Amino acid sequence: MSAASSSLYSRRKARNSVMMTLCVVAAGIGLAWLALILGALLWKGLAGLNLAVFTEMTPPPGEAGGLLNAIAGSVAMTVIAVAVGTPVGILAGTYMAEYGRFSKLTVVVRFINDILLSAPSIIIGLFIYELMVRPMGHFSALAGAVALAMLVIPVVVRTTEDMLNLVPNALREAGTAIGAPRWIVIRSVAYRAALSGIVTGVLLAVARISGETAPLLFTALSNQFWSSNLNAPMASLPVTIFQFALSPYEEWQQLAWTGALIITFTVLGLSIFARSLTGRRI
Amino acid sequence: MLSNEIITADVINAATPKTKIEVKNLNFYYGESKALKDITLSLPERSVTAFIGPSGCGKSTLLRVFNRIYELYPKQRADGEVRLDGENILDRSQDLNLLRTKIGMVFQKPTPFPMSIYENIAFGIRLYEKLSKAEMDERVEQALKRAALWTEVKDKLDASGTSLSGGQQQRLCIARTVAVKPEVILLDEPCSALDPLSTARIEELIDELQADYTIVIVTHNMQQAARVSAQTAFMYLGELIEFDKTEKIFTSPREKRTQDYITGRFG
Repeated sequence: MSAASSSLYSRRKARNSVMMTLCVVAAGIGLAWLALILGALLWKGLAGLNLAVFTEMTPPPGEAGGLLNAIAGSVAMTVIAVAVGTPVGILAGTYMAEYGRFSKLTVVVRFINDILLSAPSIIIGLFIYELMVRPMGHFSALAGAVALAMLVIPVVVRTTEDMLNLVPNALREAGTAIGAPRWIVIRSVAYRAALSGIVTGVLLAVARISGETAPLLFTALSNQFWSSNLNAPMASLPVTIFQFALSPYEEWQQLAWTGALIITFTVLGLSIFARSLTGRRI
Repeated sequence: MLSNEIITADVINAATPKTKIEVKNLNFYYGESKALKDITLSLPERSVTAFIGPSGCGKSTLLRVFNRIYELYPKQRADGEVRLDGENILDRSQDLNLLRTKIGMVFQKPTPFPMSIYENIAFGIRLYEKLSKAEMDERVEQALKRAALWTEVKDKLDASGTSLSGGQQQRLCIARTVAVKPEVILLDEPCSALDPLSTARIEELIDELQADYTIVIVTHNMQQAARVSAQTAFMYLGELIEFDKTEKIFTSPREKRTQDYITGRFG
């Protein structure tokens, strides 16, 4: 090796280690914040975590209590939102990947869906406020669920389309070649092949909406008490956290930390579960 | 084309009595580009016909016209006539799903459905027949036996179809095709993704199946065409260059281009 090329080589090695260090530092910074947030949450949240959190209602200022009504409200609205949003999302995604694969409409819908996907959730909240809350004259859990459903739809549309597009065309041709009508090929072959991916999409949508506060502020508002009336304001974890964290009362602040811990770990758990599903692909 | 008509006549008179599929002046288009040019040929019943030719010559395209699978894609269209037992399958009024139960197809890559081995077979049967559990078991067993796969899978019918080896998967696909009792089986390079041993098994199978089915096979492998088929069509650039009995094609082809291709001078 000549002198010139060996100096070239050592310079390249030096540059490599500089870049490598920068990358590691950048990754470290990113991870450090995550660790700090999770650490603070655990530290402050665990202190207030006890059975009462899951069995008692949100308390008036200065008293002990729990988050039962907020947790129940969040679960109820999430379930309704997923029940409404998932079928719409899956059907739209199916149209785009199967029936409308070559149509111009699909391109338009995909573009609009991508905008909806990244739309600030507060806009969705205001939209539902105008659409439902104002005409009805009051805040309601139903309006909250619809606002959340609006957030579910674009996520599910996107993942359904992507996952169906991953199903090899050869499989569709094979289904068609034994005389199966198109809808049966989609239902029995394409859906089955894409199932884990579609389920992942729904789980990710659940993870996304379970932390949303803005769309609920204008729709479901909150409720200090237990309510199972969908036509009335309903408590939810994010809004309760928002309200309690801003309050001057210590018990409320503690409950806010604990609520934040519960949401974070629920979402984390869902994400890990979703990951493990996609890990076992087709 | 005059020459084609003469060739067709030869094959009909000499080999088998009845024509199963008759292609007349068939043209095929991918959008603007013409992939098949004025193809005319007749395939005899219950025998194996091979389509050979270099990549892009149109042999797979021709095969895909026979069950109109190309209809899955817009911008692909055919004109001319393809008669199955005298009935033009290119007619608009043709029920495509019913047509495809009569003309089965096996693809280049094994395509087991994402379900159990049993369900892979039962799926196609269930589309058009209502059978009791016992009858269905019987049909599944028959089909797997027909595809020489039964002994290997009879103890694991509930296992996923994708858990089988490539060669087994391809035989599963053949079993699935046979199970719906077609009249014609189209094989689109069925062995190109398989090892030599699995290939040999599939070829044996083809040999057995021709007693009951009209088989059309597209292959890149000229030895395979020579081994399994009774008549061979050589295609080049979307045209049918020569169609004759297989031994004639491989020993004394009429056309120089056929000669050049089978001796490996191009393609």
